[in-house]
Order: sequence, then structure tokens, then C-alpha cells
Amino acid sequence: MFSLRRWWERHGVPIVVTGLVLGGVWLLRHTQGSAIAEIYYWVSRPFQGEPQGVAIARLTSARVRELEQQLAEVQAQNDKLRQLLGYLEKQPQAIAAPVIGRSADSWWQQVTVGRGEADGVRVGAAVSGIGGLVGRVVQVTPHTSRVLLVSDPASRVGVAVSRSRDMGYIEGQGSLEARLQFFEKVPDVRPGDAIATSPVSRLYPAGLTVGRIKTLNKEKGAAPEAIVELTAPLESLEWVLIYPPRVAKESQNANALP
Amino acid sequence: MKSMLRFRTAKSQRWVYRLLNGLAIAGSVLLCSLLLLPRLPGIELLGIVPNWLLIWVVAWSMKRPVWQGMLAGAVLGTIRDSLSAPHSHYPIHLLSLTLVGFLTARLQKQRYIQEDFISVALIVFAMNAIAESIGAVCNFWQGFREWEAVWRDYQRIVLTSSLLSSLWAPVLYYPLNRWWQYIHALEQSGGK
Repeated sequence: MFSLRRWWERHGVPIVVTGLVLGGVWLLRHTQGSAIAEIYYWVSRPFQGEPQGVAIARLTSARVRELEQQLAEVQAQNDKLRQLLGYLEKQPQAIAAPVIGRSADSWWQQVTVGRGEADGVRVGAAVSGIGGLVGRVVQVTPHTSRVLLVSDPASRVGVAVSRSRDMGYIEGQGSLEARLQFFEKVPDVRPGDAIATSPVSRLYPAGLTVGRIKTLNKEKGAAPEAIVELTAPLESLEWVLIYPPRVAKESQNANALP
Repeated sequence: MKSMLRFRTAKSQRWVYRLLNGLAIAGSVLLCSLLLLPRLPGIELLGIVPNWLLIWVVAWSMKRPVWQGMLAGAVLGTIRDSLSAPHSHYPIHLLSLTLVGFLTARLQKQRYIQEDFISVALIVFAMNAIAESIGAVCNFWQGFREWEAVWRDYQRIVLTSSLLSSLWAPVLYYPLNRWWQYIHALEQSGGK
């Protein structure tokens, strides 16, 4: 008994401290490092640049405003036609977020943005920037969220060729080029064609610009392949727009029904 | 009575040192974790930053027993895993940093290698190359990418990150090593 107490007096503290450290780290792993992301948010807050309003104003140049007005005109017409058809969807409100951190590992393509759960960001939200689709929110903390970029090898996005409406999906390759795999055996596609998110995608809003076809490889395998040049400047992102996820909304509606 | 009092003050002093040391350890690990996220000018090269947590594990394991090196590697590896890959099937950094802790502690530097900045930088370079190789193999196993793509990225990542890590290693190693020497000396004198 006495020797056990002696032993505990000598080794008790290191054992307790080691246990606490291991427990804390396990918790950190379980929450995907949200504590560190939060601390990082507060430390980097003074360097995060101008408030949301100013940034949005800067994002919106005169040319963009002109195009937006044209688009609003077309959208209004479109809404009218849809109303006639009997379904008018509410357009979701996007949240502007500053990019405050990059991937903590060279193998994965992620960014950390400075808006989180407290600002209405949810896991699964689509993220776009100047130039087009950027990625998808994979984790949120109260003030930050982690975005998996379209260039990440684990990312898959359903897309359609804007000209011919042929569909497929793109996989990231860790660079500014992604690989497009078509569902059709003989897709109507040629280099230079614009690629946008698919209208049947459940994860992304339809029609977000993704990129442009760079090269085509019709020989490869059962379904043809293409290399797509992503239009969003993923390596120099400063601000992004986060869209509420479509799936969550639909599933909420589904839950509401008996 | 007097000797007992001295014993008690020595004991409480030792507790203060331990607390300070714990704070320094936790603070430096937190700083290293935070430094992984931003791309600060001068530290970044081709979008890659030094492997700060690996430098920390090497600095820690240099003069410690093997189990302590491995434990630190496992803890810091888990921290980095939690920060980097939510969709990864393997705890890549847990494996690689535990191995780094083990190897560094087993190196027996006192016997074979002189302890200076150059040797620390070399050890960090080699350990980072090993860690990134494990990362590449795990990445290939996960099946997200083909072998050629992993190989192409591996060459770029391993060279840049090893070079950057070894160049920045003294910045972290020097203060940490000095601090642990200082604490060790204080504990020795306080304990007597």
C-alpha cells in the first residue's frame, strides 16, 4: 500500500498531465480543430481588412454593375415566365466572407474563411468568388468555416456544358486545372466551351461558372474526359460568397412534412 | 523546522517552474498550429509553409527519451490532422510525426552528431522528407488520385517544404532549447 502511494506520488502528476493532454487532443481531433480555428480568427481579426460592406462595394466594379442590371432584367423576365408556369423559387441570400487562412497541409486544397455559424453559414453551403465556383463548406465553428476547394482531389462537382447541356462531373487535381468526366458516351463539346454547375446538382446552386474546356481526350476509356481550366483564381482568393445549401432546405421541408 | 520550510519552498518553487514550462509548451504548440494557416510573405514558397509542428517535435525529441518523443509526435500529429483533412481516411500526420519523434529521440546526437544549428537543420530536412513520403503513400492509398499525380505533387511538396522547414528550424529550436536548458538548470538548483 505504502509503496503504491510512493509510486503515485512520483508518477501521478505526469500520468494525469499526459492523460489530460491526450484527452484534449482527442477532443480537438473530434471537433476538427475548431478551438484552434476560433483562436486563429480572434488573433487574425485585426488583419482581416475592411468590413463586409466596403468589400462588397469594391467587389462590384462598374462593369459588374452593368452586367448585373442586364441580368436582373433577364431574371425578372425569367421569374415572370416561371410564375406563369407555377413555380417561383426564392433566391437565397449570399454571405460575403474574407479568406483568413489557407490549407494547413500541402496535400489538401482548403481555405478558412472568417464567417461561421454565428453568421448563418452551414456545412454543405456552396462557395463562389470572383470568377466562379470556389468550393463547399465542410466544417463550421462559431466564427470561421473551412472550405474544400474545387481543386481538391476529394472534391466532385456535377457540371454541365453551357452550350450543349451535356453533363458530367469534375474532380480536382490539386492545381488550377480539373478533370471533367462526361456521363454521355459522345458529348457535344469542344475546347473553349464554358462549364457551369449542373441544373440537377443537389449540392450547388445551378448555373455557377466553373471553368472552360482546355483540352479533350475522347479516346480515354468508356466515357470521354476533358481538362477544365478553373476560372476562379483559387490561389489568390481574398473574399468569397457563401450560398445557403439547397439540400438542407429541402431536407428541412421534407422533415416538416409528416 | 527550518529544513522542512526550505523543503516546502523548494517544492512550491518547482511547481511554479513546472507550471511555467507547461505554459511555454502549450503556448509554443498553439503558435505553431496557428502559423500553419496564414501564408505570410517571406515564410511561404509556392504556397507551401514550413512544417512548424514537425520542427517542434524535432526540437522536443532531441534530448528526451523515445517514449516522450513519440507521445509528442502523436499529440502534435493529431492536432495537425484535425486542422487539415476532415475527409482523410488515415491519421496521416499522427503516423508520420510519431515516427519522427521516435527517430529523432533514437538518433543519439550526443554520440554521433554535434549539437548546432546546422545539424538541427539537417535533421529537420531529413525528418520532413520522411514525413512527407508517408503523407504521399497515404494519399495514394486513399485512392483520390492516380500515382503520377501524387508523384508529381510529392516532388514539389517534399523539396519545398523540407527546404523551408530546415531554414526556419533554428528560429523555433533556439528559443525552445534555451528555455528547456534554463528550466532544467533551475529545477536542478531548486531541488537541492
